[in-house]
Amino acid sequence: MELEQVGRVFGEGDAAVHALADATLQVHRGDYLSIMGPSGSGKSTLLNIMALLDRQTSGAYRFDGVDAQSLSEGRRTGLRAHRIGFVFQAFHLLAHRDVTENVIMSMLYNRMPRSSRRSMALEALDRVGLSHRADFLPTKLSGGERQRVAIARAIAPRPTVLLCDEPTGNLDQGTGRSILDLFEELRASGLTVVVVTHDPRVGLQADRIVEVEDGLVELLPQSHRPALSER
Amino acid sequence: MKPSPAARARFDWRDLIAEALAGLFARPGRALLTVLGAVLGIASLVATLGVAHTAGNQIISSFNELSATSVVVTTDRGFFGDNAPQVALPWDSESRLSRLNGVAAAGSMADVNIGGDLTSSVPLNDPLGQTEFQVPMVAASPGLYPAVRGHLATGRWFDEGHSERADRVAVLGAGAAQRLNITRVGQQPVVFVGDVDFVVIGILDDVLRHADLLNSVIVPEGTARDLYDLQSPTTVQIDTQVGAAELIASQAAIAVSPNDPALVRVQSPPSPESLQTQVESDVNALFLVLGAVSLLVGAIGIANVTLVSVLERVGEIGLRRALGAGRRHIAYQFLLESTGIGLFGGVIGASAGVLIVVAVSASNDWTPVLDARIPLAAPLLGAVVGLLAGLYPAWRASRLEPVESLRASGA
Repeated sequence: MELEQVGRVFGEGDAAVHALADATLQVHRGDYLSIMGPSGSGKSTLLNIMALLDRQTSGAYRFDGVDAQSLSEGRRTGLRAHRIGFVFQAFHLLAHRDVTENVIMSMLYNRMPRSSRRSMALEALDRVGLSHRADFLPTKLSGGERQRVAIARAIAPRPTVLLCDEPTGNLDQGTGRSILDLFEELRASGLTVVVVTHDPRVGLQADRIVEVEDGLVELLPQSHRPALSER
Repeated sequence: MKPSPAARARFDWRDLIAEALAGLFARPGRALLTVLGAVLGIASLVATLGVAHTAGNQIISSFNELSATSVVVTTDRGFFGDNAPQVALPWDSESRLSRLNGVAAAGSMADVNIGGDLTSSVPLNDPLGQTEFQVPMVAASPGLYPAVRGHLATGRWFDEGHSERADRVAVLGAGAAQRLNITRVGQQPVVFVGDVDFVVIGILDDVLRHADLLNSVIVPEGTARDLYDLQSPTTVQIDTQVGAAELIASQAAIAVSPNDPALVRVQSPPSPESLQTQVESDVNALFLVLGAVSLLVGAIGIANVTLVSVLERVGEIGLRRALGAGRRHIAYQFLLESTGIGLFGGVIGASAGVLIVVAVSASNDWTPVLDARIPLAAPLLGAVVGLLAGLYPAWRASRLEPVESLRASGA
């Protein structure tokens, strides 16, 4: 994934908000990258653009060497279905469908054979350690468990990129820790992981840290790491 | 199989159905209420068609009993026939027609010109009450009684012998009898027409055809010929067996007037099929409009609820889009949900409509008649209505941007 001077402006004229300005960033296969910054700094916007959920207003974004701007809506949708796993800050689980069905939902739209879906969903649940909750309704689960269902849903179709928006935002420290261990594990299995967070503990886990402040993106050098950990 | 990066998202139709059903069952109460709109529309349509058909059929069967077995032969040339040559019906019309196969009864009749004579019963000098009345006189053949399906309150109808002997006997219609204050015939009461006395031998209290007989003094043809110089019968009433009316109608003119069959007029019943169609289209036109209106209301209900559910499920739509669902997939899902509601409403409505037809028929002692295609087509109609009602909400849903929807749904 390659971003080149990507900008995103919401609104027009005087009311225009520059959520992102000239963001340049490269993410390689197998990277573990965290995007940090205070709330409202544009990090979620950056993630949405990377996830092909949103379109930049300026600059170029290449996914696997293909210019995202040139892709039709259908192609973008296809990429979302096949290549990208996205974990939402608010989980977005369907309340009236059980855990397995929620996980299966990410495989509805990408040619996954019907027969293998359930087993793949259970496998993903096993990876996040939730096999014993497979037929629970999301409303019966704790916050950490819901987050893990959301992650299982994102990784079940075996994407190449996992994008997470504040994965530990709603969790206590213990559960947050277990989620981070899970990311570490997923990364080890070859997945590209990008995590948006304002929590330094989460950010420090990553190989590389990108700071976003007022829409400006800056790759944090290794030397700054200790300073960050002291915050 | 490793999917190519450019592969477009795909959605199996079985998944589509499963997702649409899950969407409906997520809020069963609301889905049922929405279904109700479609149920009312479809039920009223099916019931309308069914009741119209049943009633139409019912009218036919009561029509069959009376009108469909009636053939009338007259010398009346009709409105434009004043100058046409008249032909006299023969006195033996009754026996000529009775010989035809398919005739149950036949009888001739003619109005008798009594020159303005008033009719009275016993001459009575009552300065206050009216004792003399203007009562029309009809000359009839013996066969007229069964041919008009008459019923006597008391006494008897005259026979061939009365006519041959020109006996001065009369049968009074119920109305005439009441005016003349005659209720019994046991004492051989007498009525006077002008100066001529007639012995009353019967009182006719009901006829199904030629109701004017009930207000008349009815005398044998021979008597009328003798006393009033009656030239010929003017009308022959034929009561045919069921289904023979058209045949008899084609033969009657030749039977009574072999030389000039074209000069007599034969009135036969209209064809039952055309009458049924007419009745049905009358009933249908009115109620079909009502049914269509209620179906429209149902459709608006479905559209409304589907739209509300789209707005409510913005988050779910955003999620699906983020997980790789194309605009089409979202649109299909909502279309299928509204179509499902319509289809379900159609099935329930068709059943309810059939029950209504049966109930209406039962309460009227009718035989329920329903075109089998109607209840089969009703669910399809419901589905189409649901599909149309879902078009706009589905379009709205498919237009939602994933990021906006995810953000809008908040926490």
